[in-house]
Amino acid sequence: MSAIWTEKYRPSKVKDVVGNKTAVEQFVKYMESWEKGKPSKKSALLYGQPGIGKTTTAIAYAGEHGYDLVEVNASDFRNAQRIKDIVGTGSQQSTLVGTRRRMILVDEVDGIAGREDAGGVAALSKAISETKVPIILVANDPWNKRLATLRQKSKTIPFRKVHHASLISYLRRICSAEGVNVSQDALQDIARDSSGDLRSAINDLQTVCEGRKNVGEEDLGALGYRDRPESVFDALNSVFHGEGLDEARRSAGKVDKDLKTFFAWIVDNAPRQLTRPRDLASAMEALARADVYMSRIYPNQRWVNLRYAVPLMTGGVALSRSETSRRFVRFMYPEKFAFMARARSHRTKKREVASKIASKSHCSSYVASKDILPFLRVVFQNDEKMARDLAEFFEFVKSDVEFLAK
Amino acid sequence: MSTIPWTEKYRPKTLKEVIDQKDIVQSLKNVVESRAIPHMLFVGPAGVGKTASAHALARDLYGGGYMSEGMFVEVNASDERGLQTVREKVKLFARSQAFGEVGFRIILLDESDQLTEDAQHALRRIMEQFSSNCRFILVANYSNKIIEPIQSRCAAFRFRLLPKKIVTKYLGEIAKKESLKASDAALETIYDLSNGDLRKCINALQAASSLSKSIDESVVYKVMGYVDRGEVQRMLELAASGEFLKAREVLRQMLYYDGVAGRDILDTIFRQIFRMKISDRRKMLLVDQLGEVDHRISEGASEEIQLSALLAKIPLTERAG
Repeated sequence: MSAIWTEKYRPSKVKDVVGNKTAVEQFVKYMESWEKGKPSKKSALLYGQPGIGKTTTAIAYAGEHGYDLVEVNASDFRNAQRIKDIVGTGSQQSTLVGTRRRMILVDEVDGIAGREDAGGVAALSKAISETKVPIILVANDPWNKRLATLRQKSKTIPFRKVHHASLISYLRRICSAEGVNVSQDALQDIARDSSGDLRSAINDLQTVCEGRKNVGEEDLGALGYRDRPESVFDALNSVFHGEGLDEARRSAGKVDKDLKTFFAWIVDNAPRQLTRPRDLASAMEALARADVYMSRIYPNQRWVNLRYAVPLMTGGVALSRSETSRRFVRFMYPEKFAFMARARSHRTKKREVASKIASKSHCSSYVASKDILPFLRVVFQNDEKMARDLAEFFEFVKSDVEFLAK
Repeated sequence: MSTIPWTEKYRPKTLKEVIDQKDIVQSLKNVVESRAIPHMLFVGPAGVGKTASAHALARDLYGGGYMSEGMFVEVNASDERGLQTVREKVKLFARSQAFGEVGFRIILLDESDQLTEDAQHALRRIMEQFSSNCRFILVANYSNKIIEPIQSRCAAFRFRLLPKKIVTKYLGEIAKKESLKASDAALETIYDLSNGDLRKCINALQAASSLSKSIDESVVYKVMGYVDRGEVQRMLELAASGEFLKAREVLRQMLYYDGVAGRDILDTIFRQIFRMKISDRRKMLLVDQLGEVDHRISEGASEEIQLSALLAKIPLTERAG
């Protein structure tokens, strides 16, 4: 097999890094502050999801500006001693050598924080305080509690997802360099599947191009190791018209919506798809049970409940159909979403009015909205003079009055 | 003269004006007389004079400026529930030195059964710590939601539902003062439809007066029709006739648009079940299913989804049996 494309096409110049212009600029500025001898912080923390160019940026800069790169992977660290050995020593030698500058790159910093032994973080923190050369830290999750001290000591530079369009254009450049012909659809799919992770996109591209000169969307089947997202309509089809539990269940894992949204789609569409009352009742009960499990997740983050909720919300519905209907009923965008949007401003107004009533009536807003507001409505719709007086008493503004008179 | 809400206009100023609740009023008068005021717990259904009695007592005790002079403060636990309110607002008021001849202030904690348990425990300590400075009057619908230690520190007064005779007589007096003609039947209907809640009764009477100066039963029904458009019943009927989508639309309207609490919908469905034209066996079945829905919602499940599932079952129970 030929060279790994992610290495082969790793940019050697900072300006060739794909996407993340702002982050790259910040990093260059930071390095220039060292070169002028006045860094604001002795280390920089580059963070963001995997495969978006954090390490690449640092390596490219070091190469272009003649730095000796001491690259250490923090996942390998076991303890404070190792860190002292590698980082501590490296960070002190720069001035002795004199001719070439040195940069220390500590990759996967969250790897040490994840370990039980906090000595590693402390040693690294100490090394930063004492260093005479730039220490570049790279992490996925900068908010890890144990990274707090490192975060404070470092110039933090966020890296974001690589945009879809930049991803595709970069993939296309690789294709033409490799002399393979990959269809636009296939590139779209690979890019979407990567959710902004350039490295995984390149890996996927190399996998499907292996041994082919022409690649179409149908060849993406080779990418079995990552589930391909499915449109919500396809997923609903598996739920309402599928072969049974397994097909329905799998739809939840593949759909390109989060589970709560997918659940809302199923709940909303069920009565349109299942027209026999007995089937609908059974499906709605399965959905209600799924809802119970979903509600058990949140108080204590008990995600295990998800595995009970998913089969019920998918298979529970699939198995409710007592006869196979070939009649196709279009799936609808959940009415509930539109409903909620419309209702929001109405409810806000109602709360405001209720709270004004409550403050003058020796009761809570809840009681005001239940036991007083409805009667005021009658007055405001029928007796203008009394309404005016009451509006003055409750200090209603024009929009409150309109709300009540409507 | 400009109109103010009649519930405020006819709110009792002194204990003497409090309607019914004779035993309680007598005890409270004695308490005011002797100035030996304990912490108190007023329990009873809505609209029977609990909050009004607390205000009347304070006015009898401190005089007309009881609120403006800062001797009496009202905190509504349902709007400002939780530990934070008790810790900050209540504590601040409780610890500040009382002046004047009475020597202590009164804090009215309305709808205090809405306080979280944590808040109640915090309250319990404050009640002890500052008892020389202030007294509490806790008002609640249900005493079982008040923790034991607080109950044991309070003199409990149980307010009863106001009898129909007394309420209709009182409504008649208000009608007279407002130059309205109101038939006895109309006033009785108001009482029935308001479940004896005097606040609701007076609000209904005032709303009725906006429709007509001569109030008979039909005017009352019209007002109540405005207020409770029978949405729950409409929803149940739609569900029973197999119109699930329309029934769900009504449900969503109530939950999301009108902001009706799921709790109140459950209560209404429960009452409706016994009025439905279905066999007793089917009623039992629905009661059981509703109970399950109630439980799930109380545990955090979605009101819409659980109630929808119930609606989907109604046409089945209609046919079965």
